Amino acid sequence: MKWPGYEWSGYIGAAGATVAATLVGLGLDAYFHVVNVALVYLIAVVLVALRFSRGPVVAVSVLNVVAFNFFFIPPRGTFHVDDPQYLLTFAMMLGVGLIVSGLTDRVRARAQAQAALEIEAETERVRSALLASISHDLRTPLAVITGSSSTLAERGERLGAEERAALAQSIFQQARDMSELVTKVLQMTRLESGAIKLERGWDSLSEIAGAVLRRLHDRLATHLMMVDLPDDLPLVRVDASLIEQVLGNLLENAARHTPPRTLIRLRAQVAGGEMVVSVEDFGPGLPEGDLERIFKKFHKGAGLGLAICRAIVELHKGRIWAERLPGVGTAFRFTLPLETPPPMPVEAFAR
Amino acid sequence: MNPTILVVEDEPEIRQFLRTSLKAEGYRVVESPNGRRGSLDAGLHKPDLAIVDLGLPDFDGIEVIRRIREWSPMPIIVLSARIQERSKIDALDTGADDYITKPFGVGELLARVRVALRHAVQPENGQRILNLGLTSVDLEKRRATKGDEEIHLTAIEFRLLACLAKHLDMVVTHRQLLQQVWGPTHVEDTHYLRVYMKQLREKLEPDPVRPKYLRTETGVGYRLVADENSGTEP
Repeated sequence: MKWPGYEWSGYIGAAGATVAATLVGLGLDAYFHVVNVALVYLIAVVLVALRFSRGPVVAVSVLNVVAFNFFFIPPRGTFHVDDPQYLLTFAMMLGVGLIVSGLTDRVRARAQAQAALEIEAETERVRSALLASISHDLRTPLAVITGSSSTLAERGERLGAEERAALAQSIFQQARDMSELVTKVLQMTRLESGAIKLERGWDSLSEIAGAVLRRLHDRLATHLMMVDLPDDLPLVRVDASLIEQVLGNLLENAARHTPPRTLIRLRAQVAGGEMVVSVEDFGPGLPEGDLERIFKKFHKGAGLGLAICRAIVELHKGRIWAERLPGVGTAFRFTLPLETPPPMPVEAFAR
Repeated sequence: MNPTILVVEDEPEIRQFLRTSLKAEGYRVVESPNGRRGSLDAGLHKPDLAIVDLGLPDFDGIEVIRRIREWSPMPIIVLSARIQERSKIDALDTGADDYITKPFGVGELLARVRVALRHAVQPENGQRILNLGLTSVDLEKRRATKGDEEIHLTAIEFRLLACLAKHLDMVVTHRQLLQQVWGPTHVEDTHYLRVYMKQLREKLEPDPVRPKYLRTETGVGYRLVADENSGTEP
């Protein structure tokens, strides 16, 4: 990664190294042979090469040759060179600089590749954990479907109508659950790969909530639902289908993890220039450490639902989090940014 | 004679289960394994209703709908396996009357089929009287009442309601509603719909937050569901 500030500091470092080497050289000059001064300059090149990229190394090599020539090669104080063998010295100083810089570049590249490999390994680990959890979740319904349907197909005529109906019903149920899981996995994959483009439009959160409550009516029937949506809630610019999924996942999640007849409250309010939507349950509550962890996609129990919620909310430039309610219960909240809605037709105000 | 249903679907397994369940309900079934065949069969058999899969091997189900719509107003229900809303909405805007997302249970499918067939035999302007619980709306006389009490609906609210009633029990897309109520220059102004649907629900629904009659089809449009005894006569 190279950015201008970094590059500049490289060249300043190069100039500083030449100045420092020259000062040290001048100090040594009285006692030692000029060859030792050349070595001081080489050390400066090596130090710059270790710290900076190729550009500054070439710069320090050239500067060193110039300074060495000017201050130490007779006739001193000029850029004139009497003895041609010093030209070889210059060439070698440049050469060593380039070689050292090439070597450090290679070492640096290898370190970066190593880091990339580690990230890849981590991604791979997450992926296989996810795969393991999904295949576990698929295996049970598949076993039920295989078993029940083969019983019906091979032994159907020996069973009573009631038994047949029960087997068929459980095939239906399990297949439906499985299809939901597969949809979620696909959804997560698409969200992660960036394949989902938001289809934003002006929408009403109350409307979206109404649709979710209808869709999940049977599943939420075991719990007490309370809906608290202010009448004057502003419109939001969202992808309604995705926000419906977020609300649905949060409500299902609340129903799944709290005992029957627990109160679940769906709320929305405007605070600090954004809309805050909450699904609060008055169940036993989550342990502190789980509040963040449950949004990870391979977290057991919450499954993919909350990871999908997080991805969708973040696509909308909102935030999502879980918090413990004082006393008892858990709240899942997410925010949606508010924008100024477009003007309305005249009749809307002429009621 | 029993209604004939055309099934345009490439998956034999899905055709089989559609055939079985539709025949068990007494419908006659014509099956087409691809779009080209489906378009031809629609002309050949003149079915009362078509069920069209959106993911066909030869050409898009939307093309089948377009070809049928060139000559026939028969009800069309699309089967959509995709989770994207887009293709579904395109199919509806092209002229499909309703949709059902795979996988679906047979109950859901048969309910859609019944509604679509019932709709096909109704007069052009659809329902004149809507019974929405205690509320009753006479679209022709432009009167809405709750018990003895008169409810005031604005001209646009009436137009919106009439538009949904024309397609009673079936979905109407945002684009179709905006086009018919506000005109072709407003087809993108979905916020109009949000505001007017809210007003309508406040006036007509017993619980506006959980609408029973004016239902939201998220990302697609709206569906007006009236009580059974709604009809063309008061």
